[in-house]
Amino acid sequence: MDFLSDTVVLSRMQFALTAIFHMLWPVLTTGMAIYLVIVEGLWLKTRNPTYYYHARFWAKLYVLNFGIGVASGIPMGFQFGTNWAPLSEAIGNFFGSIIGFEASWAFMLEAAFLGIMVFGWERVNPVVHYVATILVAFGANLSTFWILTANSWLQTPAGGEMVDGKFIVKDYFQAVLNPFMPNSVLHMFTATLETSLFVIGGISAWYLINQRQPEFFTKSFKIVLALAIAVAPLQIYVGHLSGEQVYHYQPTKLAAMEAQWETIPAGQAADWSAIAFPNDQLERNDWEISIPNGLGYILELKPKLSEPVLGLKEWAPADRPHLLSLIYYSFRIMVAIGFFFAGLMLLTVVQWLRGKLAPESISQQRWLLRGWLFAAPLGYIAVECGWIVRCVGRQPWAMYGEIRTADAASNLPPGNVLTTLTLFSAVYTLLFFAALYFGSRVIRQGPNLDLPIPGVESKPAVNVEPGEFVPNQRPVEAQQ
Amino acid sequence: METLSYLLPQVWFGILALFLFLYVMLDGFDLGVGILSLTSSSEERRGILMTSLSNIWDANETWLILMGGSLFGAFPLAYSTILNALYIPIFIMLFGFVFRAVAFEFRERANRKFFWNFAFGAGSFLAALGQGFALGGVLAGIEVDAAGHFVGTTWDWFNLPSVLVALTLIQGYVLIGSTYLVWRTEGELQATHFRTAKLAAITTLVGAIVITIATPIFYESARSRLFDPPFVYIFALIPLLGIGLVALLWRSLSQKQDGTPLIWTILIFLLTFLGLALVVFPYIIPRSITIYEAAADPSSLTIMIIFIGALIPVMLFYNLYQYFVFRGKITSGSYGE
Repeated sequence: MDFLSDTVVLSRMQFALTAIFHMLWPVLTTGMAIYLVIVEGLWLKTRNPTYYYHARFWAKLYVLNFGIGVASGIPMGFQFGTNWAPLSEAIGNFFGSIIGFEASWAFMLEAAFLGIMVFGWERVNPVVHYVATILVAFGANLSTFWILTANSWLQTPAGGEMVDGKFIVKDYFQAVLNPFMPNSVLHMFTATLETSLFVIGGISAWYLINQRQPEFFTKSFKIVLALAIAVAPLQIYVGHLSGEQVYHYQPTKLAAMEAQWETIPAGQAADWSAIAFPNDQLERNDWEISIPNGLGYILELKPKLSEPVLGLKEWAPADRPHLLSLIYYSFRIMVAIGFFFAGLMLLTVVQWLRGKLAPESISQQRWLLRGWLFAAPLGYIAVECGWIVRCVGRQPWAMYGEIRTADAASNLPPGNVLTTLTLFSAVYTLLFFAALYFGSRVIRQGPNLDLPIPGVESKPAVNVEPGEFVPNQRPVEAQQ
Repeated sequence: METLSYLLPQVWFGILALFLFLYVMLDGFDLGVGILSLTSSSEERRGILMTSLSNIWDANETWLILMGGSLFGAFPLAYSTILNALYIPIFIMLFGFVFRAVAFEFRERANRKFFWNFAFGAGSFLAALGQGFALGGVLAGIEVDAAGHFVGTTWDWFNLPSVLVALTLIQGYVLIGSTYLVWRTEGELQATHFRTAKLAAITTLVGAIVITIATPIFYESARSRLFDPPFVYIFALIPLLGIGLVALLWRSLSQKQDGTPLIWTILIFLLTFLGLALVVFPYIIPRSITIYEAAADPSSLTIMIIFIGALIPVMLFYNLYQYFVFRGKITSGSYGE
């Protein structure tokens, strides 16, 4: 148990734990915000109350997630200073200002308009409310942009140079537009949207399986499906581009993702390993199944690569990532989930085209709906796996090629970090189960279809206005 | 260029002071209401207290995130040294925030609310306590080496003056929380908070007087600043103005005025804040690191003025709009669903 007295390891564990936990909540809220914009827009356009009730129902889950996202997000921002002081000092010129931009551009916008979005239905007119919803979605996705910009810059630093151990920005826009940025932002944007779509779809499927309000939940199911037609294939493509970027900019990470020990020279057949037991001590895979020429096809769509794929042995053990099995399998799980989503989407579209998804008969599609229910948590797993590949795979670097993680950590008594790490583990476990409990309560309760609709005079149950005689018309009857 | 390297850090000192003041004012009443909720006599009352915050607590807290992020970008050395030195108070605050933030939604949905009530109140208290210790710790100074890195020990921040600052800050938060509730509630509940406001005004005043007297005694370095002209005149004026404002606050509370107690409290906060800023400036960590030593590269400071500074009026505007939308007395424990 040496690590219990190693501040660097403990600080890494704490950052990993808090980041993994934090990621669970904004991944849903940023994506679901877009769905809320869509249903509220449909309501304003068609004035069909169903869409209004969709906005209200899903917002309940939204706000539940949002609170935990905020609660777990604040420790992220402060940990850079508490646990990674040397890193913060070295990269503050760029990285710190980006965190400042994120707070001023994105967090504040989202936080201020969330109040109106959640509690303001009766207080502002529907168009103003819609603007608030749009700004919440915009703010949430803007945070994705800034935080991925900051992280991408750590992966592929650009736009300046290190002077006396501190990064000096020479060209701000080049630093923002660092090589990883555009694609990483898109990959994460698509990930939050895709995860949210399959969560909404999965929950809708649960209602449909149980034959609760099929009319209502067929709507959300189909909206989600329509979006997934674009999003699921897009994510596979964007993910592929990300892999190519890793190949070019972070060869140590690519080698770890593929558990590739030996260099494959250019022009030689590049096999793709599908399952392996990487052995860090002996520097080989104890056992593996590989697909001939697979890696060549994956990276360049041909059996033989035009550039070499460097193997892990090219670097000294201190200069390459470890925890290889974690990186290797996280990557494969993420990819598998991406393809599962696309497959499920295709299958469902086929049934849709065959007319099997009508509200009256959709519950007969039991296996398909069960597939969606099964898919509901998968997006989270894929996102977490992706981040593990991204951040464990870039080790031993905190700032790739410039600052080692071991040099980035604050010099703290290990006992301090161990205490906070233990507290985080306990508190976050509690919050996780509390969120599941309250979330499932919201779902079991279902949508409240008795809410008054803003801007529409609610009809009294009994019409008390004096009846007026109009010739050739039956007497006014009590409505509803 | 030379003037720029002085001017830019000064501008950022000003912006950060503004963010911190807005935070202390806004989340101050937010945390104060949270602490007061520990004494709520009924579930209904507690519900009203929480409803008075439900739409704004997140935006209020965001001023701290904004302050932290801007400090990180504008004064990286100060950000890393302060947070490194204050590991324990910062995490006390963070755990406090975690509990109070989740309590809003969880309490609303829970059948048995006891645990989340406690999480909300105790979380608010912990957050205020951590902030008080952090403020006290920074004001007392942080031990650094020649490069400005923290070289003290884990418990350096814990001493008599910082305990005093922490207790006074908590009283101040309870005071501004009470006056906020006087503004937002009516009837019995309002009457209760007229009383808590008066109590908190007394305890805050006592704390402030003790700190004012203790500062020149405990901190040799502050003495020269406090008693040298032209500062001596300003520092003589601040306590006088402060006592005047407390008298006005007392009168408005006695006359059961609705909104004015909050305004006087805000002015008291502002005055205290200006006094502190004058004692601290041009240091960012008193007596060890100046804003010029800690400042980021001028290119970063400039671009941050453009991209954050320009947004300040916009942020203020839509925050005010929020308050405008949710204006008026709160009479029930929820805004609807």
